[in-house]
Amino acid sequence: MNDSKNPISPHLQIYRWHVSSLLSITHRISGIINLFALILIFFWLLILSFGESNYETFLLMINSFFGKFILIGFTWSMCFQILSGIRHLVWDLGYGFEIKTANISGVIVIIFSLVLTTTFWIFARGFI
Amino acid sequence: MNETRKWILHRVTAIIVAPLYAWFYFSLVSLSTKNYTEAIYFFTNPLFKILAILLFFVSFIHIRISLGEIFEDYIHVKKIKDVANIFTIISSIIIPLIILFLLMYKI
Repeated sequence: MNDSKNPISPHLQIYRWHVSSLLSITHRISGIINLFALILIFFWLLILSFGESNYETFLLMINSFFGKFILIGFTWSMCFQILSGIRHLVWDLGYGFEIKTANISGVIVIIFSLVLTTTFWIFARGFI
Repeated sequence: MNETRKWILHRVTAIIVAPLYAWFYFSLVSLSTKNYTEAIYFFTNPLFKILAILLFFVSFIHIRISLGEIFEDYIHVKKIKDVANIFTIISSIIIPLIILFLLMYKI
């Protein structure tokens, strides 16, 4: 063991997770996932420009189990980042910094991201 | 670009992109149950085309700033960080330009 009293960075295996730290890293991760979603959309439009037969093959792929899994994942990632982003914007305006408020807003973001994802799919696709 | 302007631009682009992205992703997921003709028909609306192009240009400005922050935090070798940033900047210009070309001339 190191005798030094210097603080060390959080050790992930013994690190005690809080709502705030969980949401902070998830906000970043969901941002990266959304980048992949945008790249998928790029290919979606590219394949659409390749004509009917290619596009029909693409539709088969995204309507497979794996395809839907990815699309639902991207939906959640989008919902989460928009809600978490609103939370960040409220902080930027100077509100909601109390620990209790921040924890409650964090839980609200998690719950509503799931509710929104479900609602989104029901309206966009009529269930799965 | 100075850090304050970057900070403001990051927020402004987020506010523009959020509704645009939600609308466009919703439209695409809806189109995924329909066929090629209906997808093409969707893009005959010039407003939808303009909004889709705008989505790509604005979101890649947002992405460029965000990735810059992430590279700053996790990449500690300056050379690699510079290369990563240059690659991001080039991609964030080329991808929206390809989308512009596709939607104007191909779809």
